[in-house]
Formats: sequence, C-alpha cells, structure tokens
Amino acid sequence: MSEHNHPNYKKIYFTLVGLLVVSVAGPFLGVVWVTLITAFGIALVKANMVVQNFMHLRWEKGLMKWMLASSLVLMFLLFAGVAPDVMRHTGSGWVNDAAIAATERGIEVHGEEAEHATESEPVEETPEPEVAATPAAFDAAGAFATVCSTCHGASGQGDGPGSAALDPRPANFGDAAFWADKSDEELVRAIREGGAAVGKSPLMPAWGSLYDEEQAAQIVEYLKAFRPAG
Amino acid sequence: MQKPLATTRSATGIPTSRLAVWWVLASEVVIFGGLLASYVMHRIGHPEWAAAASVTNTWIGAFNTLVLLTSSFTAVLAHQAAEHGDGKLAARYLTFTIGGAVTFLMVKAFEWTEEITHGYTITANGFWSFYYTAAGLHALHVIAGAIIMGFVARDAAKGRELHRVEIIGIYWHFVDVVWIFLFPLLYIAK
Repeated sequence: MSEHNHPNYKKIYFTLVGLLVVSVAGPFLGVVWVTLITAFGIALVKANMVVQNFMHLRWEKGLMKWMLASSLVLMFLLFAGVAPDVMRHTGSGWVNDAAIAATERGIEVHGEEAEHATESEPVEETPEPEVAATPAAFDAAGAFATVCSTCHGASGQGDGPGSAALDPRPANFGDAAFWADKSDEELVRAIREGGAAVGKSPLMPAWGSLYDEEQAAQIVEYLKAFRPAG
Repeated sequence: MQKPLATTRSATGIPTSRLAVWWVLASEVVIFGGLLASYVMHRIGHPEWAAAASVTNTWIGAFNTLVLLTSSFTAVLAHQAAEHGDGKLAARYLTFTIGGAVTFLMVKAFEWTEEITHGYTITANGFWSFYYTAAGLHALHVIAGAIIMGFVARDAAKGRELHRVEIIGIYWHFVDVVWIFLFPLLYIAK
C-alpha cells in the first residue's frame, strides 16, 4: 500500500461538487466562450483532481505516468489524423456529399434552432423524430412508380394493373407514334390538369395538387426514357 | 494458501495488481478517447447536431455526475479504511459506492426510456448514435465495476484481500473521470 499521507478527501469532494455547480451554471450566462470554459475547462480540472488525489497518480512512479501519457498521445494522434477530413466537408479535390446533405437535412428539420442553440440555455424541445426530414430532391422515377405506373405500367407500356378497364387505353410511352406529336408543355399540362385539358381521355386524372410545374417537367423527362430509339 | 508468483514479484517496484489496473486504464483511455475524439470531430463538422443535443436533459446529467462523484468519494474512503486495516468499514463504504452505481443506472434507465419513446433512438441521427454508444459503453463499465466491487466488498468485510479495495477504487475513479467528460460533451454543449 502507498506510504504517502492521504489528502483531505472531503475537501476535494466538496471542491468537485462546487465545480459541478459552476459547469451547470455556466451556460445560463449565454456566452459561448464562458460555456466552453465552464464545461470543458472545468471537466479537465475535475478529471485532474480525481486522477491525482483519488487515484493517487501523483504518488505513482514515473513509469505509470508515461504509460498513461502514451495513451493520450495515441488519442490525440487519432484526432489529428482524422479530424481534418471529418470536420470539413470539402477539400482540395474532394467533396463529402453525404455529410453536406446530412447537415442540410438536419438544419432544414430544426430550422433556425440549430444556429441559436449553441448560445442558448437548455431548451425543452417538442419531440420531433428525425425521420420526418424533408426529402432532398424530387424523385421523378419514384413518382412514376407510385402514381403513373398504376395505369401506364411499370415500363410505361400502358399496361398497368388499372389499365384493363380503361377505354381509351392509357398512353403507351414505348410507342413511337405517341411521341410523334407531343410537346413537353402539352405533357406537363396533361399531368397537372388531366387528359381532358389536352383533348385526351378524361380518365387521365389531374395531378396538379401533387406536382408543381417543375416536378411535372421532371416526370416528362423521365418518360422520355421509355421512348423508342430513332 | 500460496500466492501465485505474478502477484508477489514486482520488477517495477509497483505492486503487480496496481500496475495491471493501470494498464487496463491505459487501454481504456484509447477506447474512450477514440470514441470521444470521433464524437468531437463529427460534432464540429455537423452544426445541426446542436439541435439534437439540446434535447438531452442537463439536470439529469448533472444529477448523475453528482452521484458518480459521491460514489468516487466513498470509494476513496473505503481505500483509506482498508489501509487502516478496517475491512468492515471498507466494505460498508464499498456498499455505498455500489448503491451509487445502482442509482446512476436507474436514472439512466428512466432517461433513456423517455428519450427512446419520443423517437430519439440510436438510429435517429449521428448525435444520438454517439450518445447511446458512448453513454452505453460507459454504463457497461459501471455495471462491471459494481459487480466486481461486490466481490471485493464481500472479502473485505471478512478482512481478506484488503489491497483489492484500492485496485477496484482506481478503476471506479476512472469510470467517474470518463463521465466527467461525457457530461459536458453530451449535456452541456448545446
């Protein structure tokens, strides 16, 4: 057992509790650098007090200190080696698309909060699961698969499950004749205002409440993939 | 009973058991250090995590910090009692420390139940992944420490293997130190 005199444990304990109070109180001042100091500066002081006095590191041999120091050096090496790539989302010759998208999604979900939260006191937030994130880009293929393919068919041949009962038959996008006399504007109008609006079957519904002009145009671009070559 | 050679010889002049626990802790520094360093770099790279972090309850975190600090205090008092040869008192202090561990885990259980039922699961986003991984790994250390302490206290109460009180104490203080860093990282930095 160690031969050294014991420090005054009670005094150290109450100092630690006092420091805990300061670290909780820090953020209430609402100043970022004060919070950083009271949170992380005090954490370092507290940890050092525990390690030196409770774990008796100050009375241990130098060997022990070197052992721990080398572990800490490894930790900082890891940080120094990896952090530059993780903390930034772009660099010379590389872009981390996934990280940028995740950041944008997160900020959209939480709005302005994210920017203010760093300097505000603890806020009780209404639960808002992350899954509700806004879709990043419009997915024309997905729209076709869920809405259009019911009648027009998964491969655009006008043979979807809903087509059997329809007369006239739903348009076949794989038919060269279909594309012979269609302009993009006309197709966008058909999607948004229904078949009747362009003098076609009234059985083609109007999808204007689901898709705006831009999105309908993207669906039209997607339809062109079914167009026969030549 | 004859003691194994490894527990009696010491080329370093440091009792083998104490050297061993420090080796364990040196490797723990790398485990927790790597995890927390990764958290810090991601947190800096993802300003949107601040919103997720603002959901964590500072008061619960602070209470658990107090619980662990107190349990560390009783652990060091147990060590002091063991040095004076008072195994019974050491065992009593260790029992207080185990009580601290149990309190800590119960608070954690309520806290996590609340968060998980509100949809903040480990897959909700990067912040919550780190939150549950770091605090979960720490909680496993709390559980392990409490179990080992139970064995040490049982022997100490009979006046046996009193040197172990110091060894489990050193480990326990380390668990405390890890939480001292987890608290500002997960609860205060909003």
